[in-house]
Amino acid sequence: MSGPPLSTPEIGAEFLRMMRDGVERGLDPLAAAEAAAMTLPQSLRSSVERMGRRLRGEYHEDEWGFDEEFAEAAYPFFEFLYDRWWRVEATGVDHVPAHGRAMLVSNHAGALFPFDASMITGAIMKRHPLPRWPRFMVLDLAFVLPYVSAFMRKVGGVPASPHNATRILNQDGLMMVFPEGVKGTGKPFGERYRLQRFGRGGFVEIALRTGSPIVPVAVVGSEEIYPMLGNSEVLARAIGAPFVPLTPTFPWLGPLGLIPLPSKWRIEFCEPIDVREFGPDAADDRRVVFEISERVRETIQGKLYENLVKRGSSFF
Amino acid sequence: MSAGRRILITGIASHWGTELARRLERDPRVEQVIGIDTRAPDADLERTELIEVDIRSPVLARLLPATEPDTVVHCGIVWYPEPDKPARALHDINVIGTLQLLAACERTPGLKSVVVRGSAAIYGCEGASPSFYTEEMARTVALRTRFQRDIGELEGYFENFARRHPQLICCMLRYQPEIGPGLSTPLARYLSLPVVPTQMGFDPRLQFVHSEDATGALLKATMDPVRGAVNVAPSGSISLSRAIRLIGRVELPLPHPLFGPMLARVGGGLGIGTLQGDAVRLLRFGRGVDNRRLREELGYEPRFDAVGAIRDLAAHSRGRRVASVPGVGSVLEKIGGSGVSR
Repeated sequence: MSGPPLSTPEIGAEFLRMMRDGVERGLDPLAAAEAAAMTLPQSLRSSVERMGRRLRGEYHEDEWGFDEEFAEAAYPFFEFLYDRWWRVEATGVDHVPAHGRAMLVSNHAGALFPFDASMITGAIMKRHPLPRWPRFMVLDLAFVLPYVSAFMRKVGGVPASPHNATRILNQDGLMMVFPEGVKGTGKPFGERYRLQRFGRGGFVEIALRTGSPIVPVAVVGSEEIYPMLGNSEVLARAIGAPFVPLTPTFPWLGPLGLIPLPSKWRIEFCEPIDVREFGPDAADDRRVVFEISERVRETIQGKLYENLVKRGSSFF
Repeated sequence: MSAGRRILITGIASHWGTELARRLERDPRVEQVIGIDTRAPDADLERTELIEVDIRSPVLARLLPATEPDTVVHCGIVWYPEPDKPARALHDINVIGTLQLLAACERTPGLKSVVVRGSAAIYGCEGASPSFYTEEMARTVALRTRFQRDIGELEGYFENFARRHPQLICCMLRYQPEIGPGLSTPLARYLSLPVVPTQMGFDPRLQFVHSEDATGALLKATMDPVRGAVNVAPSGSISLSRAIRLIGRVELPLPHPLFGPMLARVGGGLGIGTLQGDAVRLLRFGRGVDNRRLREELGYEPRFDAVGAIRDLAAHSRGRRVASVPGVGSVLEKIGGSGVSR
């Protein structure tokens, strides 16, 4: 059946009319619905079919629990944030290898919900000629929270553990790490875009052991989404969180305070740093590890300042 | 070729012990199978010599050397309370029983290897634990439940024993929970409830060993043991929600603080009354272990992966499903697919 595209209520009415006709002709409701489904647009039919298939458990999850169909279903929401809300401008996406192992290292910000991992993913999925889903390390706390834990797992998050990063890289995956960790997300607004200590350089050890190139990533815009003006230590202790941010809107406006501010974002992927020349044994050499770690840190810091200048105003 | 193997199995009346004995009886390399337990196994074993003795009793130290085994397989670790093994006896059976057994092994001159069918509970159950534990990563997290601590304790004794007797091959098998057609453990019964209660907002990654692989791996370890710990698990993992859907059941999400107490209260009536402690944490946070050592060093390739084990269970449980789920999924799929097929 082809013709002018119908509006949603018309489609519904047409479907019900066809179904009634079918039942009146003596078909059982299921067969009638099946026949009437012919009137539905192809896209709707296939999403109904996918829903049914998923309800029977017939979908794919990889060994990490990553569910590509689920990630694709959640994608439009993040695409809206990417295109409209934060108007992300991504540069240098080609520096992400199209295949084989690689480690993306980025600055980390966004006190309440760090959205940087999702926006970096968005940049790769939208701008890369051969997009693939990266995996990212998620703070331990997220994996004991209901809903958050299940969601993170399905879209590619893994608990932040060096064992996980090593395994993913050995499977030739794309691993996203945030060496600043909680120190990055929990820093006050006044210290925005100033990189914190890169832990003990554990990410460099993993890159050396697995022979993975390091792609430094600088994200500008993430610091303004939840400007952290203060930290409630009392609340943090009460719920066992590393910090509870106080922003201009949270917790004063209740759930409305969770809406991130529409800052302007820029993401720059820098040239990959090949660490294979040092060999896997260099992972035990503190000097090499710190040198590489410092080099990555300086690259990101430099690109942060560069992109802050290029961005101009924070919100427009 | 030397004389046939003499293999002693503790916990012969358990499903694991019986299945292993059955397979060993058919193996021409095996001269004699000796089984010990507090009761006789339900199934008939043809050429297994049965001895009724409690592994907690000191009598074991005199009995065991007299049977002259070259291999001792410890299948006497109890995961769930059973009618004749109440919850408070579990610690005694698992820890003291293992200690007595190891003491008896020390006095058995011809012994060459000891294999223990242990549990992956040694890795604990945490939300943020690594997604795949390898064997050397035991004891990196706090053990929180009685069963986890018991496994931790008996593994400690076993490691000590292995260190003091380097001439013996000591193999610890760390099993993920087992499922299979016809196998009735509290977890298997839980999965086959018509409506499966789950913990709201949690969807753990799980690994179930298919019973065929569970016995296969145990047989392989009995015949050609390796030193140290070996994880026994399928490749891959499956989320609880997907497993429930594949088996054709419906999820009933409950707030997670209520899940444990509720199962404790009504679980008895549902036939899953003993699903507590470790299993409740498992069904919240899940656990994944790496099976490289099993495949490459022990040389056992599992027939079923994590999804395959669930699919096999589903294929066999479909026939005896009482209240068939209306199959909303297949209806939707039919409607959606109608245009494609015509």
